[in-house]
Amino acid sequence: MPKIIFRLLLSFIVFVTIFIVIKQLVIPNSFGDYGHYRANSIDDNKGRTLYFKGDEKCISCHQDINDLINTDLHSEISCETCHPPKIDADTDCKVNPPKIKGTIEFCAQCHTKNAAREAIGFPNFDIKEHKGDQNCIECHNPHAPWELKE
Amino acid sequence: MGTKRINNNRRNFFKTTAALIGGTIAISIVKPFELIGQSKVEDKSDDKTIKPLWGMGVDIKKCIGCGKCSEACKIENNVPKEPFYFRTWVEQYTVKKDGEVKIESPNGGIGGLKQSVPDEDIFKSFMVPKLCNHCTDAPCVQACPVGATFISPEGVVFVDETYCIGCSYCIQACPYGARFMNPITKVADKCTFCYHRISKGLEPACVEVCPTDARIFGNLRDKKSDLVKFLQKNPTEVLKPHLNTKSRVFYNGLSSEVR
Ligand code: HEC
Ligand code: HEC
Ligand code: HEC
Ligand code: HEC
Repeated sequence: MPKIIFRLLLSFIVFVTIFIVIKQLVIPNSFGDYGHYRANSIDDNKGRTLYFKGDEKCISCHQDINDLINTDLHSEISCETCHPPKIDADTDCKVNPPKIKGTIEFCAQCHTKNAAREAIGFPNFDIKEHKGDQNCIECHNPHAPWELKE
Repeated sequence: MGTKRINNNRRNFFKTTAALIGGTIAISIVKPFELIGQSKVEDKSDDKTIKPLWGMGVDIKKCIGCGKCSEACKIENNVPKEPFYFRTWVEQYTVKKDGEVKIESPNGGIGGLKQSVPDEDIFKSFMVPKLCNHCTDAPCVQACPVGATFISPEGVVFVDETYCIGCSYCIQACPYGARFMNPITKVADKCTFCYHRISKGLEPACVEVCPTDARIFGNLRDKKSDLVKFLQKNPTEVLKPHLNTKSRVFYNGLSSEVR
């Protein structure tokens, strides 16, 4: 083989090898398994922390409250809608329970007067006009709102 | 003799060139070169029949604008609490009697939306929960220069946090404003349908906490799922249908005022 062809061939092989090596180093694992992206990124997302545990979990210990809630109009609401988890909910509920205060503002989030709520027939009203500044839970049980105290 | 030598060389030259080109083509068929030809970009079709295709239904006729979904989303996904970062949020639309449309979303609706327009001026008023629409033809995916944002085989649009370079092109490209720059990770962030939950058979956090079931989540390929039933029962529409993004978040009761 003439020298020039040999050199050409040699440099070609060297370039191809360098290209393959760089490509292997630069392109991350699993890139291109499904498309132009790192397929393992999907699994990364799977591993994130769960904060909201779902009603079943709460009910396993707070059966009484679930029974109460199911008797009334708040039955459709999940525990964690009103009791959002504070920290990683794997921590024992006894140590750091998702306590909330049943304030006027708390109930008002859902029940204060709003034309959009009126339009879909959701119970809403001017909080001041209802019972003034008296706290809602003094009369309504938050878990069973029609269970009125006196 | 001189002529002969040249001829001989020319033949060798052609032979070698042919061998080189043939060899290159042969090598390019095998694995390391596959990506250059983009031959694997299409999803393997047999995968699609098994995997779910996630989507969401939003019932505007049920949403009361309590903002519990926005709040839950921030907790579940470690979204910064400042009022500029949302994976999902609720907007209140108020059409006034004079035709003016007022759109409000203080703090994404967290803490409950309050009507700021006096009753006598209101023609109509309604809530529109918003989130990433998980488009089939997503403009953000096309905009990404490095392949850090993509549509998974299950139809969820993701951002690869380790791969994103934080150029914000996708944030500009999204017609729904569903993306933001996460100030902590310094990369683009967006709704993933709570993929860590749905892959374990749970519902996304916003769906879980909705007190009126205004959000319906499910598998579009499962004909018995709640979402498919919702789509069968209700006339639904996607946001900005003229953009042809073929989004997978379907709204019931969507007014033409919604942008
Ligand atoms: C392992 C059983 C268990 C589970 C699961 C559990 N809890 Fe509890 N929870 C308890 C116990 C025990 C207490 C303490 C009661 C006390 O202090 O009187 C408590 C206390 C509470 C309190 C505060 C009560 C107070 O004193 O004001 C709240 C609110 C609460 N739980 C809500 C929840 C919610 C919401 C969930 C679901 C995410 C949940 N719990 C799951 C066992 C549990
Ligand atoms: C409509 C919102 C709402 C929902 C839904 C709700 N709670 Fe509560 N819950 C409250 C409020 C408000 C208080 C605080 C009452 C107070 O301040 O005395 C409370 C208090 C509690 C307490 C402590 C006081 C008590 O009554 O024993 C527990 C335990 C509790 N909730 C558990 C639950 C569980 C379990 C569920 C789900 C089955 C649930 N809650 C659903 C609003 C709610
Ligand atoms: C997360 C939103 C939410 C919160 C917070 C909330 N509620 Fe409700 N409430 C509802 C829903 C949903 C209904 C059911 C409405 C329906 O079915 O029409 C309801 C119904 C009621 C009803 C019955 C209304 C009727 O028309 O019969 C009362 C009373 C009530 N709630 C009181 C309260 C009180 C008191 C609080 C505060 C402790 C509270 N609610 C907090 C969502 C909420
Ligand atoms: C003094 C006791 C008392 C207090 C405090 C109170 N309520 Fe009531 N609430 C009642 C009674 C009694 C009714 C039923 C008769 C009526 O509508 O007045 C009622 C009715 C309701 C209804 C149903 C209204 C309807 O039109 O169906 C809702 C919702 C409600 N209350 C929410 C609240 C909220 C939210 C608060 C706190 C801002 C609150 N209540 C504070 C006693 C009270």
